[in-house]
Amino acid sequence: MTAVHTTDAAVPTNSSSAPRRAAPDGAPRRRGSAFDRALPYLLLAPAVVAILWLIGWPVLSVLVTSFRRLNLRELTRGEVVWVGLDNYTEILGDPGFWVIAVRSVVFTALVVVASVLAGLLIALLMRQISPVVRIVLQVAMLLAWAMPLLAATTVYQWIFDQQYGILNKTLVKLGFDSFAGFSWFGTGTSTLAVIGLLIVWQAVPFLAFSLYAGAIGIPKDQYEAAGIDGASAWQTFRSVTWPELRPLLLMVTFLSLLWDFKVFTQVWAMRKGGPDGGSTTLPVYQYLEGISKSHFGVAAAVSVVMVALLALLTFQYLRRLVRSQEGEL
Amino acid sequence: MTAKKVSANVVALVVALFFAFPTYWMVSTALKPRKDLLSTGYDLIPFSVTGSNFATAWTKPGFLDALGNSLLVSLTAVLGAVVVGLLAAVALSRMRFKGRKGFAMMLLVAQMAPFEALLIPMFLMMRDLDLLDRLPALALIYFAVTLPFCAWTLRGFVNGIPLELEEAAMVDGCGRWGAFRRVTLPLLGPGLVATSVFAFVTAWNEFLFALSLVKDQTKETLPVWLSGFQTQFGTDWGGAMAASALFTLPVLVFFLIVQRKMVTGVTAGAVKG
Repeated sequence: MTAVHTTDAAVPTNSSSAPRRAAPDGAPRRRGSAFDRALPYLLLAPAVVAILWLIGWPVLSVLVTSFRRLNLRELTRGEVVWVGLDNYTEILGDPGFWVIAVRSVVFTALVVVASVLAGLLIALLMRQISPVVRIVLQVAMLLAWAMPLLAATTVYQWIFDQQYGILNKTLVKLGFDSFAGFSWFGTGTSTLAVIGLLIVWQAVPFLAFSLYAGAIGIPKDQYEAAGIDGASAWQTFRSVTWPELRPLLLMVTFLSLLWDFKVFTQVWAMRKGGPDGGSTTLPVYQYLEGISKSHFGVAAAVSVVMVALLALLTFQYLRRLVRSQEGEL
Repeated sequence: MTAKKVSANVVALVVALFFAFPTYWMVSTALKPRKDLLSTGYDLIPFSVTGSNFATAWTKPGFLDALGNSLLVSLTAVLGAVVVGLLAAVALSRMRFKGRKGFAMMLLVAQMAPFEALLIPMFLMMRDLDLLDRLPALALIYFAVTLPFCAWTLRGFVNGIPLELEEAAMVDGCGRWGAFRRVTLPLLGPGLVATSVFAFVTAWNEFLFALSLVKDQTKETLPVWLSGFQTQFGTDWGGAMAASALFTLPVLVFFLIVQRKMVTGVTAGAVKG
């Protein structure tokens, strides 16, 4: 048995590297052995298993859970109670939910517009300044980008502190005496304003770097031509910079939408959605319903609504992205 | 014309100040003695400097545990994601096989998965696996979060290495594995480092799952520990800022490493030479 095996297998089946090692000796190079054909699938297997198990399954599960009543009672007893669309009618019929949903969408829109606009302006500014100043600006932005979210949130809370915060102290020093002891976290709107500033501050560096990379890619002769034609700065921007940057700008805008809509960390860490729920956004609501109150079915319905809203906002981008990659694959 | 240039530079410096100020304020607060912090005096530059806040933060109960937990979870997840991602990347970029497009598309779509919206199923799944309150739950989730990104990015880096280099090595007598190990892998170094850094930062920052799946205080990660800074520090802003600075340090170091590695284009001369 073994003898037959060894003589038989010496060249072809022993291992995939055997034929190739033989190749320089003049033996014909074997292609397409079973192992070679299976190799790409073997290499992909761990990733595919992980993605299906840890992403694909939860995606299905969140949908299924949203049709169940699943509170702590059902969970500990292991009961499966189907309630159809009850979870959805419950949240969609709750005026409080709509306040939170609208607040989330408006907040996201404002943050995205502010950060993309600031990123664009800084990218254009970077072309106009001397190299030394540019490096200073880039290092400063890198510092903001690199700071962990929780560290940044803590620092912002200290800067905006009611009594000893440097912002109120500075404002008083500048003559705005009413800011002495002013509480930035007194209302939901001003709390969200601080959180929004924090998000924009950390989002702009990536946007500015990307758009700057796009802006320096625009051929110089287009600007020269515009200069010869006597175009003003605004005209040059509109007819040269804007058309060239538009696709990139669209892409980073959609990416920002995708990221900013889901923000939980900064909102929760700043004031836990307070005061009085005034800064609660959808991700915070999902956490409160699901983890704090153990209403898993309702929370799953909130997640599904979140994803639906997100898909609605970014559908165009996703389509464009998939299409643009199809050619390259 | 020069006046315009000067004003652009001035504006740029003001913008730079805006971005750098929180970092400066974090470090300078961490260095201030406690009595200077809770005073109404105006001190943009510290009057005197002390290291005691760092000592306070370092010795606070839970800090070292949280630091260790964060490092353990993040590094495990990134190591797994980079290894598994690299295998997939090599297959997608170097081999021709049926269904390749489909697999690539799957990675692309998985990358867009809104993980925050998967909180509930993840919680239920980890409960079923009996992993609630345990660090492997977080390591698994961070692995899943970073894997599609790692695979997709590494695929780009592998694409960037000319296949001719590997073929040349195979002509010189290397096997396919030998050619990969001796030629592609070293050239992939900077790409691997950059990918790992971004994946690490994602895991290092993650808060929602760390907050939801782990209630045991000894298993807290650093973000969760720091989010309770008011319980830890009260109004001791110096200590809180010192802890924040210690939390920031590894990320900053990694960013600087990537900067340097990315600039030295290793493959630049390889083909021409």
